[in-house]
Amino acid sequence: MNFKKNKIAKALLMVGALSAGTAQAEIVFNGFASIVGGTVSTDALKSDGNGGTIPDDFNGYEDGSFDFSQDSLLALQASSDLGNGLSVTAQILARGENDWDPSFEWAYIAYEATDNLRLLAGRQRVPFYMYSDFLDVSYAYPWITPPQDVYSLAFDTFDGLAAIYTTNFGEFDTTFHAIYGGNKNEMIISGETVESPKFENMMGMSVTVNRDWLTLRAAYFQADMDIPLQNDGLGYLSDAWSATPYSDVASEFVIEGNSGEFLELGFQIDYNNFIIVGEYTDLTVDETPIAGGESMYIMGGMRFDDMLVHVTLGATDKALDNFISHVPTGADPALDGLIAGTQGYIDDAKNEASYVTLGLRWDFHDSAALKFEYTSYSDDINSDNDAGLFRTALVTVF
Amino acid sequence: MSIMKNIKSKLLLCVSVLLFTFSSFANVAVIVNSANSAAIGEADVSRIFLGKVKAFSTGDKITIVNLKYNHETRNEFEEKVLKKSASQVKAYWSKLMFSGKGKPPKELASDKDVLAFVAATPGAIGYVAEGSVDASVKVVKTF
Repeated sequence: MNFKKNKIAKALLMVGALSAGTAQAEIVFNGFASIVGGTVSTDALKSDGNGGTIPDDFNGYEDGSFDFSQDSLLALQASSDLGNGLSVTAQILARGENDWDPSFEWAYIAYEATDNLRLLAGRQRVPFYMYSDFLDVSYAYPWITPPQDVYSLAFDTFDGLAAIYTTNFGEFDTTFHAIYGGNKNEMIISGETVESPKFENMMGMSVTVNRDWLTLRAAYFQADMDIPLQNDGLGYLSDAWSATPYSDVASEFVIEGNSGEFLELGFQIDYNNFIIVGEYTDLTVDETPIAGGESMYIMGGMRFDDMLVHVTLGATDKALDNFISHVPTGADPALDGLIAGTQGYIDDAKNEASYVTLGLRWDFHDSAALKFEYTSYSDDINSDNDAGLFRTALVTVF
Repeated sequence: MSIMKNIKSKLLLCVSVLLFTFSSFANVAVIVNSANSAAIGEADVSRIFLGKVKAFSTGDKITIVNLKYNHETRNEFEEKVLKKSASQVKAYWSKLMFSGKGKPPKELASDKDVLAFVAATPGAIGYVAEGSVDASVKVVKTF
């Protein structure tokens, strides 16, 4: 904690030092914050599979209590123009769910090579989704947070290089955003905190086309992955399959030298008082114990003066490949037991769900908005997981 | 029948209120430095003020100048030209600012300040109430 604070202070100092030598030795500070409170209601106590129950929680919210930390955050951005097209920017973000421990969300040096080409080096966002660039700036979009089933990858930032090229074909403004880099930060994968995952050779591009009220977007990324999951169940299954004639199955439980691919398609129509936004994502992580698949949402909203009322419909369909279909049953009782256990794991990993979100945004102040949202979530496989999430948020930019 | 009449008169009242409201707004003049010879079309204006176009047709770099937040002329300009509310414009610049893709334009307090800035800055573009325009600048379009 102290060490971290030290690092942040040093970095701020560095931004200052870098800009001190130039004529425009000015550091501009900006920030944003969301204070979000929420509670969840669930129908049934969930079974833990061993005759007991587990506490009801949904996206970090618990039944019967109102939580103010889960989605609350505060960020401070310092940037300095060094002249000749060079600038330095650092964004420090503290999240309530991480005990308000601050961390660098962005830290980069940018170079305006031309009016159309901008190069970035350092820590920055992977432009996975339509709202990636300003994912945490709730003031910049209708919801409290973007639909979580679509915005569900394990990380949002990377360390590396990016090139952003903007051009226009007639009245169509087009932006190409290409990246290369990786991420080795602690993150939560499959519900487990992984201390040193490795996403390397991550590369890809997003293309955004905008004309007046219409925006279209497509993105594709791939990365090499080494993720040392410590889950005992996976370790057991991997070891057990290694000892059978079907040892190829063992590698399905380990993420080593695997590759992942991610595709996103999106559109936005912002016409007079109407706004319609849709996004589709497809994650492919073959031969790993992580379920891949599709997720999508469509949102429609209408503005009345300072109010925006919106409805979002979303659906997710993720699953593991049935990688034991080639193993014969009934040949060996021990193998049958292993097949049953593995089938159980594959079935558990399946995620078919849909949700409806109703929301209201009220721009009651020059720099702040108040938001209310209710999400009704239905799990199409196990209705015990159905939940209703109510959240309210005060969001601001400064 | 009398109900119909009632509705009709109410509608008329509504329309006249609307007309009155609209006509009470002053026109907004988009202005550039008097030495600026660039061709600027109507569609270009909103793209320039949203930071999507960075250079004039002559190749000169654009410097946008804005009136301060909630200034009457600014609200008028944003509604008529950008077709966005003040908070939508603020949200738009927040997106660019916190993703390092752009900085909101310089803001000045009054029409007088904008006129002085545009008159003194070769690549400047701004807007003022039509009535404030003087000979120190060139009017590109009036909305």
